[in-house]
Amino acid sequence: MERIIVDGLSFSLPLFIMAIGGIYSEKSGIVNLSLEGFQGFGAFTGAFAAVFASRSFGADATTAYVLAILFAVIGACVYSLLYALVCIQFKANQTISGVVLNILATALTAYLTKFLNKRLFEAASDKFVLEVSSRITVPGLSEIPVLGYVFTDIYPFEILIVIVAVIAWYVLYKTPYGMNLRACGDNPHAVDAAGLPVGRIRLIAVLVSGALSGIAGISFAYSISANFSSSIYMGYGYLAIAAMIFGNWTILPTLGSCLLFGFARSGGYYLVQQLGMPSSYSDLVMILPYALTLVLLVFFSKYNRSPRALGEIYDKGKR
Amino acid sequence: MQSKHTWTKTILKVMGDEKRQAVTIPLAAILLSLIFGAVVIGVLGGVNPLEAYINLLKGCGLLPKESYAGYKSILTDFASFLNAWTPMLLAALAVAVAMKAGLFNIGVSGQMLVGGFIASITVGYSSLPAPVAMPLVVAVGFLMGALTGGFIGWLKYRFNINEVVSSIMINYIAQYVIAFFINTFFVNPVTRQSQAVGKNARLTFMDTLVGNLKIDIPLGIILAIACVFILRFLLDRTCFGFEVKAVGASRSAARYAGIDVGKNMVMSMAISGALAGLAGVTYYLGYYGSIQPRVLPSTGFDSIAVALLANNNPVGIIFSSFLITVLSKGSTYMSSASGVESEIAAVITGIILLFSACGVYMRYLIKKMKDRISEEGRNA
Amino acid sequence: MSEYIVEMNHITKRFPGITANDDVTIKIRKGEIFALLGENGAGKSTLMSMLFGMYEPDEGEILIRGKKEHISSPSYAASLNIGMVHQHFKLVSNYTVTENIILGIPSKTRRFGFLPSVDLKAANQRVEEISRKYGLEVNPTSRIEELNVSVQQRVEILKMLYREAEILIFDEPTAVLTPQEIEFLLEIIRGLRESGKTIILITHKLEEIKKVADRCAILCRGKLIDVLDVASTSTKTMANLMVGREVSFVTEKQPPKFGDVILKVDHLTVKNQDNFPVVKDVSFSIRGGEIFAIAGVSGNGQVELADAIAGLLKAASGTIVLNGTDITYYSIRKRTLEGISYIPEDRQNYGLVMDFTLEDNLALRNYFKEPFSKKGILNREAISAYGTKLIEEYDVRSGQGNKTIVRSMSGGNQQKAIIAREIEQECPLAIFVQPTRGLDIGAIENIHKQMIAERDKGRAILLISLELDEIMNCADTIGVIYNGQIQKIAPAGELTASQVGEFMMGVKQDAK
Repeated sequence: MERIIVDGLSFSLPLFIMAIGGIYSEKSGIVNLSLEGFQGFGAFTGAFAAVFASRSFGADATTAYVLAILFAVIGACVYSLLYALVCIQFKANQTISGVVLNILATALTAYLTKFLNKRLFEAASDKFVLEVSSRITVPGLSEIPVLGYVFTDIYPFEILIVIVAVIAWYVLYKTPYGMNLRACGDNPHAVDAAGLPVGRIRLIAVLVSGALSGIAGISFAYSISANFSSSIYMGYGYLAIAAMIFGNWTILPTLGSCLLFGFARSGGYYLVQQLGMPSSYSDLVMILPYALTLVLLVFFSKYNRSPRALGEIYDKGKR
Repeated sequence: MQSKHTWTKTILKVMGDEKRQAVTIPLAAILLSLIFGAVVIGVLGGVNPLEAYINLLKGCGLLPKESYAGYKSILTDFASFLNAWTPMLLAALAVAVAMKAGLFNIGVSGQMLVGGFIASITVGYSSLPAPVAMPLVVAVGFLMGALTGGFIGWLKYRFNINEVVSSIMINYIAQYVIAFFINTFFVNPVTRQSQAVGKNARLTFMDTLVGNLKIDIPLGIILAIACVFILRFLLDRTCFGFEVKAVGASRSAARYAGIDVGKNMVMSMAISGALAGLAGVTYYLGYYGSIQPRVLPSTGFDSIAVALLANNNPVGIIFSSFLITVLSKGSTYMSSASGVESEIAAVITGIILLFSACGVYMRYLIKKMKDRISEEGRNA
Repeated sequence: MSEYIVEMNHITKRFPGITANDDVTIKIRKGEIFALLGENGAGKSTLMSMLFGMYEPDEGEILIRGKKEHISSPSYAASLNIGMVHQHFKLVSNYTVTENIILGIPSKTRRFGFLPSVDLKAANQRVEEISRKYGLEVNPTSRIEELNVSVQQRVEILKMLYREAEILIFDEPTAVLTPQEIEFLLEIIRGLRESGKTIILITHKLEEIKKVADRCAILCRGKLIDVLDVASTSTKTMANLMVGREVSFVTEKQPPKFGDVILKVDHLTVKNQDNFPVVKDVSFSIRGGEIFAIAGVSGNGQVELADAIAGLLKAASGTIVLNGTDITYYSIRKRTLEGISYIPEDRQNYGLVMDFTLEDNLALRNYFKEPFSKKGILNREAISAYGTKLIEEYDVRSGQGNKTIVRSMSGGNQQKAIIAREIEQECPLAIFVQPTRGLDIGAIENIHKQMIAERDKGRAILLISLELDEIMNCADTIGVIYNGQIQKIAPAGELTASQVGEFMMGVKQDAK
């Protein structure tokens, strides 16, 4: 039980923050399949920053950790800028360019990882090895039966994610910017007529989705593999999109679907272990979130309402 | 100012009218990407980019290498290139036919895997005689791919599930389920891959002695080229093609015209899947002889680039798939001969993709330039 | 200060291939209602778009309150107190009225003293106040998607007033309204003038100008024809100036010769996606040689009714009988073959495959029949020949003939192509939905003539239109639909336009 909750949360929360990024982008009217690429690229820059800092300047684990998150955000943000350029400025098909950016991210980070390892660290390696992240157990709170597991063995990034998620929620639903953003996803012409810059609002939304995906990417790198390699592209970005669709493009229900995915996964692993099955059975567990997505989509797609102007290329001259 | 004007005019002249742009824009995308790649290779790698590119061609048997091992020559390399080219060509056709119906089949990888896996375990491990086994492999691949693709189309039609989302989910499900079966029942403990399929079911005649050379002769390439022309006929000359394109261009107008939109979506996804299944068997039972568990073939994703580059034109795909295969196939030799990371080839493919995705914008820019020039001409 | 609040001097605006405004000069006084009259494509909207900062003129200057201005964006126009109600409303459908109005200029507060947030409460109050002051009758907390077009239009007006606009531009404001709603709107516009606002009204409807406008500028093909004092000019004069030739207001037609019943709709109910009935228990029949026109305000179920007859929507209950055959459960294709041709309201999304060539669009209804195809294989030559024939017969103009991509054609020619295709089906029943929307007077006349010619061949015509004029002009029998129900069916001669208008509003109840 403890493991299910602890592992489930450490998987759900990065997924959740990435899904919020997806919500920002799609609520502004930009389809975002490139979360996968954003998180991978963010994980790459973050991991590189951490490794570079500790190898070249002897930074300690905590500093490296902070740097990793910081640069993951910056890196993913810069990469998402490319997506914004292609979709908003160049008016390319958003679904296709999203997938294109994912392919490019995989290729680019694989190349750069090898290249940087060879040039800077003189190692023939295709990964950046990170130090194992420390974990925090909140004294007192963790003593509570069952609920206490939530406060046990927390990765530091989980706390960060919760804080950022709350801010993201507030900004999206309560501030003028959030209001403008959501309007862009419904009727950009109305936003333009109100004298607001549709392009810039969408650009910021995409950058936010990049930044949040960066946090997710580096979190996965620390929690799942403790390194960066191309195995970071496991399709979690797509999973976040599935979570967002169940959540009907709203933040709280999206949290629910992320938790569902996380616990289904950790629960499955636990089961395989408990029943003493060979490790290849864990492959079957890996199916769970994806199969669940498909089944749930069958039942719920009827009730889903995507933002009205989603994917529509906004052309000022067109009325 | 004057020189700028001449520049614009030159560009316009080269790019041509809208029909010609279908060719010139992809060429521009390729050129720009190769230049980008050259800069990366030259500046970061410190290698002469021209030499690196020549090595790409050498690796594909398109230019002679300095020396060859026994039983090998440029012909061996070229045959091996054809072997790798086949699945890419088929996979790109799969993407294109779905795109014509307005659907984005990003599940080609999964469909390849399903086709290849089922064909392997049913026919590949059997002892049927080759004349029976080979057509059977093709048939099984075709059918399994069609079922998987058709299922995605059906989900879209019946439940309105976005095909991108469902095919991604099915990709992962296929990947892990097949990995489970391979690791549990069909694994070769030495290679960590599935056991090799029998010679009788292999779509490539491996190590065939021709003169003093040992060549892998791919039969699939004939199949692939045939598919190009069948598909072209299907799309341009039949009622089915007319309907699919109408559905792709405007679902509502197609429905208004009395076209069964659902049926056409399912059908085109099934055909797309079938082509992907063929790509799968030529990949897993032709080019390779086994399946690596837990890995989706990158061909399935690269094929998106190929189709995009060719603007989903079947004949155009022959050329674009050729190019992308040169990049991926030749990269190993380029890496060893020039000392450049082989991943750079994938990066160039990615950049080509990116530029192709912006093709619409390029068209728009050219149109704007034209308008401006004609207006200035009128004002003057 | 100058006598004029707006002066547009020698304005010229060119678009590729067309001069939209050619040396146009208009001067507008403060506090007047100034109308811009002209056919579609006369350059009215372009001229006003320049005043509102959506385009900049190629030549000429704009003076606001006597001062020369470069109006480079709508927000700059707004800062000059210029507001515009566009033909297509610019509203966010899932936002409330207030949220729409304050979009871009939210009243901000600080929650807990530091968190920036939107102050909806204050905004709601302010919107309520303005709404009451000008008699707009809008509830600030309703969601846009729940409101009908007339209220949505008033939200657009509120939006301008909230931004303290002094110069209000209305682009074809009455196109989507019923006669009664039009009255209400004109009342509001007069009220706005009373409180000192300057109003510019773009329209092609003469009666409205006659009713409210003080002065009126007439544009024809981009050129300014004249500026007239409305009170002292007759409607006839204005109309002739606008078209540049004499116009007959009434399409000539012979008295109808009715044949057998062709279409019989019996207790038909149609539900929308949310399972809500939009057509309720509708019954009527159309005879050969009869134009049966359905009048109604936009969104009262008339489009759904047409879609249900053509098979695009399913009937929830009731029957549709064509020539004695029950076609209620037939597919769209089967109905076409049984003999229904359909000119849909939305020609770009339904009537045409915009990225197909003209010839393929002309063959859209019969590509699967011989000689256009045989056993599933297309005969391209036959398709081309057929296209050429229709293009000539119906005078469809396009850049590259048969091979023109339809998207690049003008709206009028697109409509011609649809009408050519549908009429050539020679079906016993032809459905025309809004066949003349957005077309100029010449084209409208032409289409009416074609429709009447079809009638005279003994076909049954179902005409659905929002334009009361069109209905009064063409119909042999009029049915009025309101809220999904047929209110009244009567021979055209027995109803006046204003009676029809009252039924359209559901004001008048009538025992059937």
